[in-house]
Amino acid sequence: MPICECFADNFRQQHILSRVDARVKTLVTFALLLMVISSKGMFFPIFIAVSSLSLCIAMRIPLRHMFIRFAQPMFIALVVLLLKLFFTGQEVLFTLNLYGIEITGHKDGLLEGMRITSRVIGGVSLVIALGFAAPFTEFVAALSWLKVSRQFTEIMMFAYRYLFVFLEEAVTIYQAQKNRLGYAGIKKGLHSFGVLTGALVLRCIDQSQKTSEAMELRGYTGDLPLLMHEPLRHGEVAFAVLIVAFGGVIWMI
Amino acid sequence: MKIQNITRHLLFITFLLVTCHLSLVTEANAMHISEGILPLNWAALWFALSVPFVAYGIKRLKDISKIDLSYKPLVGLMTAVVFVISLMPIPVPTAGTCSHPGGTAIPAILLGPSITVLITGVALLIQALFFAHGGLSTWGADVVSMGVMGAFVGLGVFRLLRRFNISLAISAFFAGLLSDWAIYLTTSVELAAGIRGNEPFMPLFAKIAIAFIPTQLPLGIVEGVMTAGMITLLYKRRSDLLVKFGVIKAEEAIS
Repeated sequence: MPICECFADNFRQQHILSRVDARVKTLVTFALLLMVISSKGMFFPIFIAVSSLSLCIAMRIPLRHMFIRFAQPMFIALVVLLLKLFFTGQEVLFTLNLYGIEITGHKDGLLEGMRITSRVIGGVSLVIALGFAAPFTEFVAALSWLKVSRQFTEIMMFAYRYLFVFLEEAVTIYQAQKNRLGYAGIKKGLHSFGVLTGALVLRCIDQSQKTSEAMELRGYTGDLPLLMHEPLRHGEVAFAVLIVAFGGVIWMI
Repeated sequence: MKIQNITRHLLFITFLLVTCHLSLVTEANAMHISEGILPLNWAALWFALSVPFVAYGIKRLKDISKIDLSYKPLVGLMTAVVFVISLMPIPVPTAGTCSHPGGTAIPAILLGPSITVLITGVALLIQALFFAHGGLSTWGADVVSMGVMGAFVGLGVFRLLRRFNISLAISAFFAGLLSDWAIYLTTSVELAAGIRGNEPFMPLFAKIAIAFIPTQLPLGIVEGVMTAGMITLLYKRRSDLLVKFGVIKAEEAIS
């Protein structure tokens, strides 16, 4: 999947959350995320997961993209679930005999593992929804409004600007190496990979010099301009408070 | 008896689903702790631990940028490179999946550990939000393992070996290798502490460490080769840059 497809800017510009202020979206996500990771049961995280994924579907995000984002967190969650099932807990649920090795699954371990898995599903769904709902620049502006250091947000902006450039560069070098049998065999492949990394670092240093020279010529004095903040709309804030309060009530049940 | 049968059936279905999922997942990013795995208290603790390191990185960046205007673009672009490196899929035959290198040893050697922590923090935030690698709630834990441990171990090993006049390539190889393994062990500690519940810490830590051996041991070697390759290429092509970054002395540079 091309990297640019992962950013909200790539998807429909107009959806049900596109007009909502990124600061409101970010704050609601943070509040609900805190509730998800502090929840004691499975209901709340699953409720958040269903709501967030429904929002993604309403935003017309392709299912393939959602599945790809879930793949890696679920891998870790499944390892944790299996570890909890087989290696923690007291109450025996079942015993398997695999070629003379006795493996015991525990009921309390399984429940605890499922609780962690539900938190992962809830948390990931929530962040996926935010990732699709907020364009990158708006999210960075929201971070700056939240008093995240300017140096941090500027590095984010630089990184975002050059991600695609270096990715394209990496693909070009990789294809050239592959065409010249650079990955035929482990030793050759490792060598080619090292050269690829070195070439990217070299390109990064050269490009940073060119970029800073070009920026200085255009009046760069050390600070990048960020999006200006309009005053928060009362209606949006009230709706956000309602959502968080509603979430809080379900969290307490 | 009936309940036991239902449980067995449910477990069999779960096993099938797990097998299907694992066969579909072709990539594993074992170094990032996923969103939601850590409970609030552990997420808060790792976040609190990571903040001073990130803050110091920001202060260093601010101080150096006052003298050198090109430093901020360099750090920003290096973040993009680390991001790209950490997205490169490396086949891990022992696990039957692909994994990704951390790439923290490279900026640690070139720009120092405090700037590397900042670079890692930024890269992890973008990855969490737009790729679901890592998470917002586990950002602190991931910064501590990948940024703090990865960078300090990487640079420490590199400088230690260079002090004993070990060649650049070998020093860089071990910096990459041990930096990767330090990240993996710290992640295992964070995971074990976060999910153990009432169980003792050590047995669970050992099991988690063993569970990720198939991906992390070969990945460490790849990371070592990658770091060595980067340093060797820089030395051959632009040794003046290594002098500028303080990696080698001026008399060691190829004129």
